[in-house]
Amino acid sequence: MTGPSRLERGYRRVLACYPKAFRRDSEEEILAVLLAAAREGQRRAGLAESVDLIKGAVRMHLGMSRAPRPVRNAARLMCLGAVLTLADAGTVMLTLGGVRSAAVQDIDFAGGQWHIFVLAVIVPALASTPVVAGVWLWLAWAIGRGYARARFALKVFFSLLTAGWLIELAMGGGRGATPVTWPDLLATTALWLVGLVALLLVFSQAASPYYQQEPAHQ
Amino acid sequence: MQEATFLILTALADGSQHGYGIIAEVQQISGGRVRLRAGTLYTALDRLRADGLTEVDREEIVDGRLRRYYRLTPAGTRRLAAEAARLQVNARAALARLKPSGVVP
Repeated sequence: MTGPSRLERGYRRVLACYPKAFRRDSEEEILAVLLAAAREGQRRAGLAESVDLIKGAVRMHLGMSRAPRPVRNAARLMCLGAVLTLADAGTVMLTLGGVRSAAVQDIDFAGGQWHIFVLAVIVPALASTPVVAGVWLWLAWAIGRGYARARFALKVFFSLLTAGWLIELAMGGGRGATPVTWPDLLATTALWLVGLVALLLVFSQAASPYYQQEPAHQ
Repeated sequence: MQEATFLILTALADGSQHGYGIIAEVQQISGGRVRLRAGTLYTALDRLRADGLTEVDREEIVDGRLRRYYRLTPAGTRRLAAEAARLQVNARAALARLKPSGVVP
């Protein structure tokens, strides 16, 4: 077997990571560029070149390359939403002591009531964290790919976020009927703002035509 | 605008180029500092085409392999001109403020 054909086979293996539609359209073209850029006598796909190709393939799979700018930014924000959700759960765990003090001192939670509050509110909130983070990530993927139904799903998700945020606002930093600390409230507000900006971007004039065509790279 | 995107658009400013041609042009324009890899180039080209800043000019078969030439669209030309002007203003301001220090002539 000759050197170039071995190199070509190596690059084809890496290019197999790309979405089918993109490969149909551009594989031969990229391969020609890769072979033209190869060093004299090179027999294997270079590590840096392969890593770069795999990064490109991941971006294409996420649908992050052909989407218009507002959609790409919205998808990035939704990934940030997933990170903030996890951070929010971390904040709840870290401030649990403060929440308990507020509960006992400010609103006279008895020991039993505190346990009920933990079981009814905090445990479900923490347990749902991976699910909520997953929904953020799924929305980022689906929105980036141009699925029209994902826009509807984002609306529903944002409505739920808004309801959660309003409930937490009503609880109000430890002065309401149930204890909520300011860090929790800030984290929820940040998440709500992320959702709001993502929603505005996805429904912007520049983004709308993207959802009236076939989803990218299926 | 990211530097790689700016350099790709600049490489296409005076005529159409194929993929490897863009890589070579970008390397030359940046004085050898930026060497685009194929994955980065084609992700950027895919995005630029989606944004309507570049388009396929023509296709050729060379040595049995597809060679696709890209060119700037009118929107791409305007965007590059605007970005270049913005960078020029910023660079002028930086150089003017650095002049008293004697670091720049």
